[in-house]
Amino acid sequence: MQGIKISNLARVILIFVGITALVSVTAAGAQQRQVRDLLGRDLSVPATPRRVVALAPNITEIVYALGQAHRLVGATTYSDFPPAAALLPKVGSYVHLDLERIVALNPDLCLAIKDGNPITAVSRLESFNIPVYAVDPRNLDSVMDTIMRIGHLLQAEERADMLVSDMQARIQAVVERVGHANHRPKVFFQIGIAPIVSVGTNTFIHELIEMAGAHNLAAGNIAYPRFSKEQVLGLLPDVIIVTSMAREAAFERIRNDWYQWQDLPAVQHERVFVQDSNLFDRPSPRLVDALEILARLLHPELFEDS
Amino acid sequence: MQTHESNIIRRFIRITGLLSVVLVAALIVGLSIGSSGGGMTALWRGLLNSEPADPVLMTILWKIRLPRVLLAALVGAALSLGGLVFQALLRNPLAEPYILGISGGSAIGAIIGILIGLSQFPGVTLMSFGASLATLLLILGISMGESLLRKNALLLSGVMVNAFCSAVIMFLVSMTQDTRLHSIIFWLMGDLSLGDLQHTVILALFLVPCFIVIFMYANTMNLMLMGKEMAQSMGVHIRKANLVLLLTTSLMVSACVSQCGLIGFVGLVIPHLFRLLLGPDHRVLLPACILGGGAYMVLCDLLARALPQQGELPAGVITALVGAPLFVYLLKRSNS
Repeated sequence: MQGIKISNLARVILIFVGITALVSVTAAGAQQRQVRDLLGRDLSVPATPRRVVALAPNITEIVYALGQAHRLVGATTYSDFPPAAALLPKVGSYVHLDLERIVALNPDLCLAIKDGNPITAVSRLESFNIPVYAVDPRNLDSVMDTIMRIGHLLQAEERADMLVSDMQARIQAVVERVGHANHRPKVFFQIGIAPIVSVGTNTFIHELIEMAGAHNLAAGNIAYPRFSKEQVLGLLPDVIIVTSMAREAAFERIRNDWYQWQDLPAVQHERVFVQDSNLFDRPSPRLVDALEILARLLHPELFEDS
Repeated sequence: MQTHESNIIRRFIRITGLLSVVLVAALIVGLSIGSSGGGMTALWRGLLNSEPADPVLMTILWKIRLPRVLLAALVGAALSLGGLVFQALLRNPLAEPYILGISGGSAIGAIIGILIGLSQFPGVTLMSFGASLATLLLILGISMGESLLRKNALLLSGVMVNAFCSAVIMFLVSMTQDTRLHSIIFWLMGDLSLGDLQHTVILALFLVPCFIVIFMYANTMNLMLMGKEMAQSMGVHIRKANLVLLLTTSLMVSACVSQCGLIGFVGLVIPHLFRLLLGPDHRVLLPACILGGGAYMVLCDLLARALPQQGELPAGVITALVGAPLFVYLLKRSNS
């Protein structure tokens, strides 16, 4: 009888201690703050996110650039930059998220992209009490804005400031240099091989082309217009830039494909370039790298000294 | 007659009981396997609550996997039943909403609904229902001149309509510029991944009354299989029965299509399998198709989720990969 009583008492004490510990842990961990994301939603996120899932490759890049990779517990399938990101647990592709894997990683914050991740997936994650903060990186300015926002969320404001001012300085340097150019070459920028797809006005690649001192032949309302070969030949591009995920051998083939058309100005001056699509297909901090590469391709004469 | 009736009831109870067990087993297996691993022990620990429940596991089980396996079971049941009804009404073993293009037609309606920005329910579902009815009328209209009894006329017009529907779908998809394109393509191949509990419950509220209506016509379908005159002499109102059954089936199929896209061959394989095993009595075939079709679809979806290392396959790919050869095999066996 006596023994049972003591053990009961011990149990009560133990439970009490347990509860106190639990409360203090949750109090420390549950420090929340209110933020508004770019879908215009007010949400409560942890003040110190420890388990973050990045729902798109460019967001993964931004988190790495901010030096906050230690907070990442998951990323999407094609998150391959920096190379270390490829080792993160994968949660499906950004258009087809694997909700079960995301939940299994027990994240305290998910970073999504507006219009990229399906809104149904975002709202389902929230119904599981996982806060999802949506950003909207779609050109240089909004990438820098995204960097600031994610920097704020992940307590890396200083790093974000540095990153953004470095980007601004590099952009400024390119703009100044191409300001000396005395002509604007006409560029056909090809992001799809079959069918031939180019980029309209409302895209970040258009912005890069214009900023690098050239004229985008596909400018127009349609974001990713399709072209026939005939149409491209008729546009008489001075430069053709093709982005491709393919390797060197395929690069050769794509280039030779255009070189059959000897009348094209771009072919006559041997200005058909194939670039790794990785740099040009996601609005990440590396857009500045892409801008510098473009400026060099389009105005080699201005970069002869460096 | 009395013994015959009680015989049917006994068979009904036995088969329903047996297949319910199969369905429950399929549901449990479906619940216990997923992309995050898990496995049986984790499931049972969660169910029996022998230790403090892991909230992550609970979310995965009850909010992700459960709606999905229930959705798969519902859709499998509805598609199998749809196939069974079509085969009885059109007296053709190859009749099935997918083969005849009814599914394709309702997919056109659903895509147009999505493209003009209607909400999933009721907008897209209604568009898809309207389009499936139009397709059905088109097929019947084309083959009607040839008399319904000429089996090939119906099937051939169905195949043509199906080919036309595929072309229209491809046309709509190629004309689409925006980001919804990717999810439409995935959805076209049969996608169960978006099912949340709310959608599944809505679909159930929609489908279960359809099941009951069809069930009330079980004996009528038996009589209709014996031929028009015979059925009429037994007091069957043929036009009314046709109308009710075709409408209900189209409604059922379009509800499934607007939710999960195009999933083929379920409506062929399951009714054939059970006709081969259980004979032609619809009073037994109907519950068998509902329960067995549900279990089949749950397992196909499980394969779709479990086979790839990364991501998942569209469920329609699995049902066709498994279903087409299985159907050919069943057809050969039923001939011999």
